Amino acid sequence: MPGDHRRIRGPEESQPQLYAAGEGEAPAPRDPARLRPVYARAGLLSQAKGSAYLEAGGPKVLCAESGPRRAEGGERGGGSVGAGCEAPAALSGRLLCDFRRAPFSGRGRDAPPGGGEERELARALQESLEPVGRLGRYPRAQLEVSALLLGDGGSALAAPLTAAPLALADTGVETYDLVVGCSLSRAPAPAPAWLLEPTLLEEERAAAGLTVALMPVLKQVAGLLGSGEGGPTESWAEAMRLGFEGCQRLYPVLQQCSVQAAHRRGAAAPL
Amino acid sequence: MYHSPIKGSREDLRVDGRGCEDYRCVEVETDVVSNTSGSARVKLGHTDILVGVKAEMGTPKLEKPNEGYLEFFVDCSASATPEFEGRGGDDLGTEIANTLYRIFNKSSIDLESLCISPREHCWALYVDVLLLECGGNLFDAISIAVKAALFNTRIPRVRVLEDEEGSKDIELSDDPYDCIQLSVENVPCIVTLCKIGYRHVVDATLQEEACSLASLLVSVTSKGVVTCMRKVGKGSLDPESIFEMLETGKRVGKVLHASLQSILHKEESLGPKRQKVGFLG
Repeated sequence: MPGDHRRIRGPEESQPQLYAAGEGEAPAPRDPARLRPVYARAGLLSQAKGSAYLEAGGPKVLCAESGPRRAEGGERGGGSVGAGCEAPAALSGRLLCDFRRAPFSGRGRDAPPGGGEERELARALQESLEPVGRLGRYPRAQLEVSALLLGDGGSALAAPLTAAPLALADTGVETYDLVVGCSLSRAPAPAPAWLLEPTLLEEERAAAGLTVALMPVLKQVAGLLGSGEGGPTESWAEAMRLGFEGCQRLYPVLQQCSVQAAHRRGAAAPL
Repeated sequence: MYHSPIKGSREDLRVDGRGCEDYRCVEVETDVVSNTSGSARVKLGHTDILVGVKAEMGTPKLEKPNEGYLEFFVDCSASATPEFEGRGGDDLGTEIANTLYRIFNKSSIDLESLCISPREHCWALYVDVLLLECGGNLFDAISIAVKAALFNTRIPRVRVLEDEEGSKDIELSDDPYDCIQLSVENVPCIVTLCKIGYRHVVDATLQEEACSLASLLVSVTSKGVVTCMRKVGKGSLDPESIFEMLETGKRVGKVLHASLQSILHKEESLGPKRQKVGFLG
């Protein structure tokens, strides 16, 4: 467990014994476009303005959203690419995203929170959510979305990408559409094929990975993050098409979840 | 006269007269810092980047005992733009460092050549990027500078001597010019394509970046293989635009690599007697 010497006196570096076991396992062959069954529920946390829980096979994520509340800080713009002449921060709302992994979510005990990977994924989450919220309607306001990954079963970024907009919609903030996230991975040679929603085993052995976030009704891509040896551009394009199709297939489940949450809220409100 | 970047991009004419796929004039100089194993300075319009690479002996990572490794650190200095004062540049620095980690994959640099003795010693290359001036299109300039600095890196040749008791000793070669040079053929470069209006432009200035709501960052190797893709910005992109931008990125990337390779080889062939411009040019 790197770093946390104040609480626990232990060796500098350690690794779980699972490293040696399971080397010979090969992922079972399966239909490349199969989607895992999804369970989604919005409006489950009493203390958050909006919340959503999503379970998609392996990954389990809990998203909570608080706000809109008064924005802190001055006119400093955010760290977007090429910090330059941005519109003044007061004209539209700000979205702050936080992504955390629970220490027990992965196979080995993870590093304490705040690591580089979490900040990168929080940034990816923010960039995918910004197109969907009508932030212009909430000037000088700040919306905070926090995603907690409770279990990692492959596709760790796709699940929060799907749950966070559900939480946002649950708050009652105006949005253009929902966002659905889908992840893909490319198996290494000799059979390089793109697989939709990889399991943890498939993701570990993958040569490349891609996560797409699509707004299904508007058919616009809200987020895209991919890296690895994906091969030529045609291969990446094929992966994106597979991802978009997967997002469209997932959308009815989330739409239904959102409607059910709205009914529950409506029924609970005092008349 | 008022120039509109949005209307202009439709007709393949930008504010400074470039076409949509043209880069600004790039100046690359290597070996600018004497205390490093390799360094490079890149000026792309008003964007100025300095990269230093230091090779140090380290222990290989647990899961990769036969390989060395690269570590990226990005520092956005306050002189680049007033917004980087204090901790302001940290977020951007982390974002750039994370992107650099993503674009480098197994085939970019031969990490096994950096291994000295498995599980015990390896070369760790610390790549430090310093943003001196920010004039738009940071990612492209940084990736060019990193590639040039890695090309310029010279790692001393070492031998592992084992004596009778089994203890190992590392011997450095006596000749200071006896070095390993890294092959940077597969090191990718980033091409950022900004969506402005209906078209996309390469190498956006600060003004053009302000007009663009979304960009696609593509990392391409010299052979046209894409190693990383990322959508940046607050807006959304149409799937068809993404496919087009990917093709443009690949095309532009290949041309960029070809020019960079030829310039780096030409500079190296001038030998130690070449005129160094440094920071006064």
